[in-house]
Amino acid sequence: MDAADRAEQFIPAGLASFGIEADDVDLAVMSAAHQMFWPAILELLSRDLSDVAPERQPDLSRAPEAS
Amino acid sequence: MNALDLPLREQAAAIAAGDVDPAELLEAVLDRIAERNPAINAVVETFPERSREMLAAAPDGPLYGVPILIKDEWPLPWRAQRFGAAELLAPTAPGESGPYRALRDAGAVIVGVGNMHELGAGSTGNVSVYGAARNPWDLERCPGGSSSGPAAAVAARLVAGAVGADGLGSIRFPAAYCGLTGLKPTFGRAALAGHHMAAITSLIVSGPLCADAADCRLLASVLFAEDLPAGEAGGLRIGAVRDAVSEDVSPEVRATCEAAIDELRAATGGEVREVELADLGSATMAAILAINAESLSGVTPQRLNELDPELSPIARGFLKYRMLLPAAAVMQAGRVRTLLRRRLAALFADVDVLAWPTIPAVAPPLDAPLVELPSGTQTADQANVRGAALANLTGIPAISVPVGLGSGGLPIGLQLQAAWGGDALLLDAAAALERANERRWVEAQPPLAGIGAGA
Repeated sequence: MDAADRAEQFIPAGLASFGIEADDVDLAVMSAAHQMFWPAILELLSRDLSDVAPERQPDLSRAPEAS
Repeated sequence: MNALDLPLREQAAAIAAGDVDPAELLEAVLDRIAERNPAINAVVETFPERSREMLAAAPDGPLYGVPILIKDEWPLPWRAQRFGAAELLAPTAPGESGPYRALRDAGAVIVGVGNMHELGAGSTGNVSVYGAARNPWDLERCPGGSSSGPAAAVAARLVAGAVGADGLGSIRFPAAYCGLTGLKPTFGRAALAGHHMAAITSLIVSGPLCADAADCRLLASVLFAEDLPAGEAGGLRIGAVRDAVSEDVSPEVRATCEAAIDELRAATGGEVREVELADLGSATMAAILAINAESLSGVTPQRLNELDPELSPIARGFLKYRMLLPAAAVMQAGRVRTLLRRRLAALFADVDVLAWPTIPAVAPPLDAPLVELPSGTQTADQANVRGAALANLTGIPAISVPVGLGSGGLPIGLQLQAAWGGDALLLDAAAALERANERRWVEAQPPLAGIGAGA
């Protein structure tokens, strides 16, 4: 199954799972959004960041505490 | 000079000195809005009696009697925000927001509400429940978003200062498109209370849009409730990143911004250091995921089945798509945020500011907001966000400074970013750049005759 096929299934399957209704216009917008965002999301998910311990309740007004 | 055309700080000083009657100034601003706004649709509502009452009760503060526009992102005591949309997914009601209180306590007069991109979800300003705002530099071009109305209003000299909001570049894009100075403060530093996402956002800030750095300093000091004394940005160490944010931009934007960076270096007796910022490319998706997750907080699938039909098709489809994004990606975005915050903390030991173009190309047409870049044709939203996301994701301050005019006489902006709390340094650097170019770009005027400003 190629990426385009997976994309075609992702949106209807996701909508059905949540019970969200969508008309043809909604689906066209969602498809465009998916093409725009999904490659970057997959790239993000593929990265091994397991050694980066997230900041606990980060204070974004300040520099991070030393890791 | 007509008091309407004075910079914000000079309006305040003239009123304080008794040289300008604030009641007359208010009426003149209302008249100018009536005259010029139909062409640019920057102001979506005025409330003359409320403004007059505000003036009558105004305390003697740093903005006593000065008319200010506020984006449609906060409630006022007499008006709930609409967020540029037919409906919000969060409850709203009239009330005293943080920016309202800050302005009121400084003696300012809120003269109207500024248009904005629908739901804050666009960098162009061409979609809004009120209709698109238009760029005073070219009425067929985007004014930038999401703070479209505040920027267009200041550029057209309806007001000398406006309050915008920036969750993913929404002050800096319109500042750049409209030839203004726009400050995205350090996260948490500027008044935000009353915003419908105030309790959950980790990205959105309020901030000023004005002609120049000195006016931004004054308005920011009001929003911060603290002084931001001017200093000298001497010996500035300017970090230049070789990445898509600085290289996948139109040739005119690249040349103009590189020249401005060199001017800033020379003006401050500083230096330009080429630096690396690994994972910068991941900031964009991480910031988008973060703001998506926050903006959908409390939204149920059933709620998405009851959307107002007057919401734009893009908003409806995009809201539903956002509901499908995987939680694992949001968590991964959190790790990217941590990683980039740590990288920036190390980087800001070696440089004082990072510099790259605010926008990769000049304002695109309203009816087709696409930009031509070395990598090809992209939507303006796609192209713009990658240069802005880092500051929102990590919390650092950023400023857009006008540095030239490109094709079609449209403005170009340079973005400077500093370490957390470095807002005043950014204003100092912006002021140094203004002096270096003899204020040529902060004093450049759009062709106002086309918007009813012939008199």
